[in-house]
Amino acid sequence: MRNFDLLEPKTVDEACRMLDAGEDVRPVSGGTALLILVKQGLLRPQVLVNLKKLEGTNAITRDGAGAVRIEAMATIHEVETSPVVREHLPVLAAACHQVANIRIRHLATIGGNLAHGDHQSDPPGVLVALDAEVELSGTRGTRAMKVTDFLLGTYETALETGEMVTAVTVPPVRGRLVGDYLKFTTGSSEERPCAGITALVRLEDDRPVEARLAVGAVAARPLLLCETDPTEGALQRMAEHAADEMDAIPDLRGSAEYKRHLVRVLGCRALAAAWKEACP
Amino acid sequence: MRHLITATVNGRERELSVKSNQTLLDVLRDDLRLKGTHEGCSVGVCGSCTVLVDGKPVSSCLMLASNAEGRDVLTIEGLSRDGNLDPVQQAFLDHQAFQCGFCTPGMIMAVKGLLNENPKPDQVEVRDYLSGNICRCGTYVEVMAAIEDLAAKGQ
Repeated sequence: MRNFDLLEPKTVDEACRMLDAGEDVRPVSGGTALLILVKQGLLRPQVLVNLKKLEGTNAITRDGAGAVRIEAMATIHEVETSPVVREHLPVLAAACHQVANIRIRHLATIGGNLAHGDHQSDPPGVLVALDAEVELSGTRGTRAMKVTDFLLGTYETALETGEMVTAVTVPPVRGRLVGDYLKFTTGSSEERPCAGITALVRLEDDRPVEARLAVGAVAARPLLLCETDPTEGALQRMAEHAADEMDAIPDLRGSAEYKRHLVRVLGCRALAAAWKEACP
Repeated sequence: MRHLITATVNGRERELSVKSNQTLLDVLRDDLRLKGTHEGCSVGVCGSCTVLVDGKPVSSCLMLASNAEGRDVLTIEGLSRDGNLDPVQQAFLDHQAFQCGFCTPGMIMAVKGLLNENPKPDQVEVRDYLSGNICRCGTYVEVMAAIEDLAAKGQ
């Protein structure tokens, strides 16, 4: 592999100071995405800052109000198997289980997944559907923003120089959410998603009060549609609307037209399944 | 730049001086001369380089060697005990669960990882867990038979 120096900070503050040195200094956590780019010569950093050895940065907790906080260095496997995530955010556990393969899930981290900004990935769309926030630490302090505002495009995020992702937080859900994540691949099962559809219905007092449809992997950013007066007809229109709205990126996994077709079909299917779960 | 790390490799504690840009696979093959772990795709897709770190399968081609600090690394060379093959190795032999053998060390380590986590996996769980280990000779049926055998014996 191309030569670089690996700096190994012990604290988040130290890591941010190291990252503040400029564009040739990049953060690395699990390495499963970044090292591929380095191997392929697409990225030529002089220095990598190793965030994997930062202590106490992988906890997954739920506070009294019901917000779930996942620290950035939690691996995708830790998220998928976390009892807290499985009980309170099963859709996130399901999506994380479908990321790549078991070996990658043991290395890759949730913070790295978001910071990498690859649109062809499973977790970002689900986190957008869950209205998640990302916490950032930098040399100029800490800030938080919605995941949907953080993801700017393919390999583009709102991260500034000298900043790193420290956690992702899913706010408390009013009532309860039902629904699932539907992944479609045109290659083998562990392939990157051609489309990743999250369909959720929120219930209050067992009455459906909101439907959410998030489409990941199709366009440069996940698309989120919300319907506050959910009916079967409205859900169908949501999927059609999503298909028309998407600025689908054509690639080896399918043409833009094919992907929009997928969004229509899978969106309808996922929303219908969520609706059935909400109103059995 | 070099990093001094301590890691347990196949049961033996080693002090290693690893380069910043070395992967765990590079250190295993080039420095420790453990050539059983193979490099296939080098991008985490094929599973040939699977080793266990703290009992869990990882793609050693994408793990920075420095991150092996304090970890317990197990490769195919560390499986046999006192000249006896590991039950997984024996099951692969019994069922002829390989042809050319290139993917076999990775496949066996992935099966070790699976059985560590779930000693009696059903077919769906096995397929799901091993979906990222590719055998271009197509010995999947035999691999499944070997695992079924191991699960039945509770090994």
